[in-house]
Amino acid sequence: MKSIEQIMRHDHERLDVLLEAGAKAVRKGLWHEAADLLQRFRHGMVDGHMMVEETMLFPAFEAREGNDDLPLTALLRKGHRDLRVFFLEMEEAIGARDAEEYSALLSTVQAILKHHDAKEEKELYPHLAEALSDQGQLAGQTILSRQETAALPGRSQKFDV
Amino acid sequence: MNEYHGCEMPEDLFYDLDYVWVRPEADGTLTIGVTDPAQALSGRLQNARIKKVGTHVDAGRHVATLESGKWVGGVPVPFAGMIVARNEALLENPHLINIDPYGDAWIARVKPDDSQHALDDVKTGAEAIAALEAWIKRYDVQCMRCPD
Repeated sequence: MKSIEQIMRHDHERLDVLLEAGAKAVRKGLWHEAADLLQRFRHGMVDGHMMVEETMLFPAFEAREGNDDLPLTALLRKGHRDLRVFFLEMEEAIGARDAEEYSALLSTVQAILKHHDAKEEKELYPHLAEALSDQGQLAGQTILSRQETAALPGRSQKFDV
Repeated sequence: MNEYHGCEMPEDLFYDLDYVWVRPEADGTLTIGVTDPAQALSGRLQNARIKKVGTHVDAGRHVATLESGKWVGGVPVPFAGMIVARNEALLENPHLINIDPYGDAWIARVKPDDSQHALDDVKTGAEAIAALEAWIKRYDVQCMRCPD
């Protein structure tokens, strides 16, 4: 069984691939495919990855540190709030078939994710197994089950990136 | 001028208690910028993208995106409205925000859809300053004035 650290790192990579696949669809003018890929990316990110972090991982890390107002988790939560708005704006850009606006938003989101993911992987994830009473089994299973949902038949995980 | 951990916070402005300050203008528009502690947390800004004049923004959406070497983020508008002016100087020199966040480095001027309730979700005065001091403490920010 993979560790919670490995599962969360892999989820970052999986979501990056989905985001890039959507970007490629926009560049080709395949707007319906782009909308579908963005929806899957957003679902995986907001309803899976962020949800698990905000409800399970951050609180466990804060409890381990004995402080529920940590600069690290406060910054990461703020990053999530910003990203949620950017995802909505990307969806609107696709709806308006505005490739220029989408491209600018994509560049911003990828830059945010680069900083955000690196911070999580360096400062948070290595401590999770110790912080969580079950070493992160439940959180890991939740993430993996979301990944399986995203890969249901007819929703191929293979992207021509 | 209130100061905490070296961060300046004018008491007469309105704040979203996160990154943004709002100043009511005589013509009914509202000027938006980012706070001194927010610019300090962001680091030296290298890129600014501000939405075009004439763009309508819903409450909570971004009027601008700022980027430094270590941080990228949006500047949300606390109310819905139309962008009537943007600070073109920031597009050329976003570092101005690190130098004069409440003056020359305003970001945009927005005409609110509902002027009666545009400031409902922002705070001012002593309540705002106390909340901003808690923000500074939470994020462990120390402001330093940029010389140029």
